Amino acid sequence: MTVEKLKEAVRKILPEVDVVIGYRQGFDPLHATPFFMTKPEQVDQLIWNPLCVQNLCSYLPFLKGKVGVIVKGCDSRAIVQYMQEKLIARENVKVIGVPCLRVISVKKVMAAINQQSVQEVTFEGENILVKTPEGQKTIPLADVAPRKCATCQLATPLQYDLLAGDAIQSNKPQDTFEETKEFEKLPLKERRAYWEKEFDRCIRCYACRNVCPMCICQDKCIAESRDPHWTSQRANVTEKSMFHMIHGLHLAGRCISCEECERVCPMDIPVAKIKKKISMDLKELFNYEAGMNPDDTPPLYTFKIEEATIKEHEL
Amino acid sequence: MAETGFLPKEKLPALLDALSKKFQVFAPVFEGDVVLFKRFASGVELCLTRPANLPPKGIIFPQSETLFNVNFKKDPEDLKKTSVELKENLDFAPTIIFGGRPCDAQGFRIYDRVYLETDIADPYYKGRREKTTIVTLACNAPSPGCFCTSVGRGPAENEGSDLMMTELEKGYFFEPITEKGKEILKEGGFEDGSAYKEQAQKAHEKVSALVKKPFATLEGTPEKLLSLFDNNQFWEGETAKCISCGACTYLCPTCYCFNITDEQAGNTGERIRSWDACMFSHFTLEASSHNPRQNKHQRLKNRVGHKFSYYPKKYKGVIACCGCGRCIRYCPVSVDISEIVAHAQGA
Amino acid sequence: MSYVAGKELRIVGFLCNWCSYGGADTAGVGRFKQPTDLRIIRVPCSGRVNPLFVVKALLTGADGVLVSGCHPRDCHYSDGNFYARRRLEMLKRLLPFLGIDERRFHYTWVSASEGARWKNVVTDFTKAIHELGPFHQKEEKTA
Repeated sequence: MTVEKLKEAVRKILPEVDVVIGYRQGFDPLHATPFFMTKPEQVDQLIWNPLCVQNLCSYLPFLKGKVGVIVKGCDSRAIVQYMQEKLIARENVKVIGVPCLRVISVKKVMAAINQQSVQEVTFEGENILVKTPEGQKTIPLADVAPRKCATCQLATPLQYDLLAGDAIQSNKPQDTFEETKEFEKLPLKERRAYWEKEFDRCIRCYACRNVCPMCICQDKCIAESRDPHWTSQRANVTEKSMFHMIHGLHLAGRCISCEECERVCPMDIPVAKIKKKISMDLKELFNYEAGMNPDDTPPLYTFKIEEATIKEHEL
Repeated sequence: MAETGFLPKEKLPALLDALSKKFQVFAPVFEGDVVLFKRFASGVELCLTRPANLPPKGIIFPQSETLFNVNFKKDPEDLKKTSVELKENLDFAPTIIFGGRPCDAQGFRIYDRVYLETDIADPYYKGRREKTTIVTLACNAPSPGCFCTSVGRGPAENEGSDLMMTELEKGYFFEPITEKGKEILKEGGFEDGSAYKEQAQKAHEKVSALVKKPFATLEGTPEKLLSLFDNNQFWEGETAKCISCGACTYLCPTCYCFNITDEQAGNTGERIRSWDACMFSHFTLEASSHNPRQNKHQRLKNRVGHKFSYYPKKYKGVIACCGCGRCIRYCPVSVDISEIVAHAQGA
Repeated sequence: MSYVAGKELRIVGFLCNWCSYGGADTAGVGRFKQPTDLRIIRVPCSGRVNPLFVVKALLTGADGVLVSGCHPRDCHYSDGNFYARRRLEMLKRLLPFLGIDERRFHYTWVSASEGARWKNVVTDFTKAIHELGPFHQKEEKTA
């Protein structure tokens, strides 16, 4: 799949919609940035490579009119989840699917190049080549991909009106939640100390909340409301933990594991871990995975009279 | 006493130890891959190789501070009478911010005009500011996204700092900018720095040339931005990808907006001042429920306007952006304020 | 929340108005002896209980939280407790991940006639919390 095929797809869809959301080069060679195209000449700036990490579906519930959007496999789950929750009118969205095997994590690349300034980035085969003042470094993409890419089953998006390229298979192992299970083996005190240390860094910038495709309350988020008064303006661990609990619990059964929340945290807090734990539990309890089938109902929106997996707890 | 000082690298921990006895010293330390300003403690690994994720603004302008505590007391003789006891906290300890960058120190100068150089100075800001000494480390390389030289600053700009240090091969060259800075040089361990002054100067010039320049000049930009105020199409185009979080404002060394809230439970309470962000959708939400900046293009236009137009017009042309690049680096969608300004210049 | 410092721990209970609150009342009428730590908040239905109530209680000073509603199939509003069951089970599994002992949160079903059962639930839960000790290191002074 070349970027030319993608540009062709965008040019095809552009006359039918008000805007097409894609990616263009960002402020430095290591960053792509969302790109809102309304005119054909803008399509020349479109890029497609492992730098294209942002989940562009987050914009959809807030845009009026007809919108075209470029989605990777992980992003497409957002479209499906929106369909389950009726947050978008599917007929007003033109989805351009792009086959994708992995993207990069900017944080991991920066760590691999010792936080040097990036002068040039190229992709060769399964590697990313990064040029810094210290020289050129060749890094296997698999080493600097985010957690989600290692077990991604959606090399081809679930939903698309146009596929820019050929459908491909993922051939990756299923997610067995190893990281979550390893963490659960730690002593209780250590788990609590871990989260208190991580949450202490939080500055409640709400980048994680605003980038989340499923967080659509935005203005009305209870983490900021004065009435009812869920959290105060005090900058202590209690308030910060409360915000993260609100965010995690409101995503229970809805989180599509795009891990955008963790990508954008300026303080490197592993916020996606909590959502993964909840996703793991809900898969076990209700055999449910968010964003897979438009006809599904999120598990906490419904019930069964007899729940085979929930046993009454004894004291 | 020498005018300038030189400290061999191995003597730096001892200097900080000595200073910690008289001041509360904040220095950039590693926490995983994140660099944060924390209270210095012996043996902690300092990070002097790159700017902290969060600038040290919270040391003088805390993210959340109690302005006063409130206690309602009922008169036991006459239960209808309630007295109110207010307890302010204006006790601030002598502090050193060690190892910030020139752009971080610039932020405090931006705050000074707003919080101090007015008819009523902010006592909380003033109290902390007067007790704080800022020891700044000149940059020896630009950071991704930074552009200080384009906004009238530089990687060794000393405005806002009390003492400027430059990393050289075997140690650090220290140059005092104010009396407070001279006081630090009285500590033990410093050699005479005069032999190193030229070296430091050359280092500064070398880095200056490496800093990216997104625009040639800002001459006329405040007026140009104002002229684009009603151009909704321009602003909507520039701001379409913004997600209205507060990462840029909270991480910005020059952002100073705040919110005041009362938190009360029963008979006690406190009035808290906390950081606010003009990027939040409810920043301008009024009690009547009218919101003058309901749309994100209005809010981002305000942020760019504040830094490059309104503040300079009010304060003799000083640009309220220090060019540190944090907003660009940490923005979830890489909104680039320098690019927006460059586009505005050409619009 | 006032409590007898040194003797009591802070235990919060969310009881549904129809069954569990009635059950607690039955226990009271029957003069069953119970520990006094529990502070009850009456809600119309266990389905009203937002998992965040439990989290907020624990984070802001509670040592234990109990939620009790009608038995499944007997909900006064037909299906409120079915939703509650799913939410609270999800929460029960999440709390230990964050380092909160799962025994600090318990949800159960007690009907209006089960006074004796209510007494046992309260006694056993209070005992479990006392064994676990306070959740917050520093004991705050009462207002």
